[in-house]
Amino acid sequence: MIEVRDLSIHIQGKHITHHMDFTIPRGNITSLIGESGSGKSLTVSALLGMLPDDAKVSGSIMYEDRNVLDASDQEMENVRKQDIFTIFQDASNSFNPSVKMGRQLYAFSGERVGDSLQVFNEKMHVILDKLGLGWEVVEQYPFQLSGGMLQRCMIACAFYVEPALLIADEPTSALDMVLQKEFIQLLIRLNEEKGTTIFLITHDLDIVAEAAHEMIVMQQGRIVETGKVETIFSHPQHAYTKRLLESRF
Amino acid sequence: MIGKWIGKRMVMGLIVLFIVSFLSFFIMQVAPGDPAIAFYGGNAQTLTAAEIERITRAYALDRPVAEQYVAWLGETVKGNLGISYKEGRPVFEIIMERLPNTVLLFSVTMFCIVIGSLWLGTVAGMRANSIWDRGLSTISIATSSIPPFWLGILFIYVFAVSLGILPSSGSGDVGGNGGMVDKIRHLIMPASVMIVTHVGIYARFLQESIKRENGQYYVKVARANGVLERSIRNGIVRNASIPYLNYIAMTIPSFFGGSIIVESLFAWSGIGQLTVKAVVTKDFPLLMGSIMVTGVLVVITLFIVDLIMYAIDPKLRKGGIR
Repeated sequence: MIEVRDLSIHIQGKHITHHMDFTIPRGNITSLIGESGSGKSLTVSALLGMLPDDAKVSGSIMYEDRNVLDASDQEMENVRKQDIFTIFQDASNSFNPSVKMGRQLYAFSGERVGDSLQVFNEKMHVILDKLGLGWEVVEQYPFQLSGGMLQRCMIACAFYVEPALLIADEPTSALDMVLQKEFIQLLIRLNEEKGTTIFLITHDLDIVAEAAHEMIVMQQGRIVETGKVETIFSHPQHAYTKRLLESRF
Repeated sequence: MIGKWIGKRMVMGLIVLFIVSFLSFFIMQVAPGDPAIAFYGGNAQTLTAAEIERITRAYALDRPVAEQYVAWLGETVKGNLGISYKEGRPVFEIIMERLPNTVLLFSVTMFCIVIGSLWLGTVAGMRANSIWDRGLSTISIATSSIPPFWLGILFIYVFAVSLGILPSSGSGDVGGNGGMVDKIRHLIMPASVMIVTHVGIYARFLQESIKRENGQYYVKVARANGVLERSIRNGIVRNASIPYLNYIAMTIPSFFGGSIIVESLFAWSGIGQLTVKAVVTKDFPLLMGSIMVTGVLVVITLFIVDLIMYAIDPKLRKGGIR
């Protein structure tokens, strides 16, 4: 679905990623794992065409035969709107604090796909019920909900939109263990029920083991290993991957 | 919830008015000059010592200041602001004649400043590094650095003396028959001076606030997820207007201070000009009355700003932490 070739990102003369090559296959959950500061989030920004203005980038990111890096802002806005849904790390700051959740959920889902408010109300009611969130969340403001509830609201929008690609950038790092597990189950459900391709960025090997089909290991801005999760877990090749696996409890 | 909030604001407003009255009364007492002589106006030098003593006793000016203040406060609470030394008429009556002009000048200027700064600040703030952004940053510094009295004199020279298209002073035709059109003609110059010297700095504050808000996490999340730009912009402006309203509230008292100068320069028959006259003639009851009415106007304006903030900031309503 996405082919990244020779991707290098520099910001203010500093190399963030070096000649990255990886593929995100359609219909799978692909996990990008690496330590903090290894360039994972900037890689996500590059995929979304949302790199900072001072970033210099080379290589290519092919999405449906289009190079994302050559696309105009308007084209990328359309691609994001039509095909991609992104869940970010900090759920408690992902929503506008002054707007009720109902209005925001509609903006993130129904309005985006062109549904009327009435259609949205019906569909979202069912999804929220499924995810264990009551309909009353639509009447609340983000600061009245917990981080876990807000993250579930985000995934509710992903269920509504049914995007071709879901990017989840460390979505569980602010959640406790129970909520983490619940959230990962929801991602798996989305992948299995809707066939959504998921690109899951994390630094937690347990999550990779539980959810992903493919994995990409990143260290200091370089891809050090890619392949099927079972293969890498059973026969790690790179020293960093071995160290990562040994450090698992 | 809202009843309690309004009650609290009202009590705070009353405390502010009490402090203003207390400070003004005591500062006036330490000002040079004898109010008894001032009472007599232009012929003060002909006053004998006996007459000065009679006036002093008649107006209780020989009593301790605290006692005078308590008496003044007691009467003011009942709605009696006293008699003007200079005009010999009730202060309340004089102020009521001037109040509509001040309210008109303030409402028109504030309305134009808010509308203008909202538009300019939003356009410049949403287009970081554009010509609007850089232009407003420069122009706002230039316009807010211009002293209103200087701009006023320049306007009088250009529009009244050279072009002769606007009246240089006053708040209406001498005969008083000019109607609304005449009022507007007299209003244009004082209002323009206030607008030009204030709109830039208010717009600049909103512009910076919008730029800050534009970099917030939730904006990035919304843009990444294809939320309509219109919805994103509305959310940004709504949040950015909270510090902007706070800024307006903070600068309202100095705004009234500026309008006193403008009213005097254009002889606009309002409370500001009346206050300056009361200071010059040491007409203490009139001065206290003018200060208190200005104080009430400031408190009411701040209350309205607070109400707007209460409406747009859910954290205030829900008692959340910001």
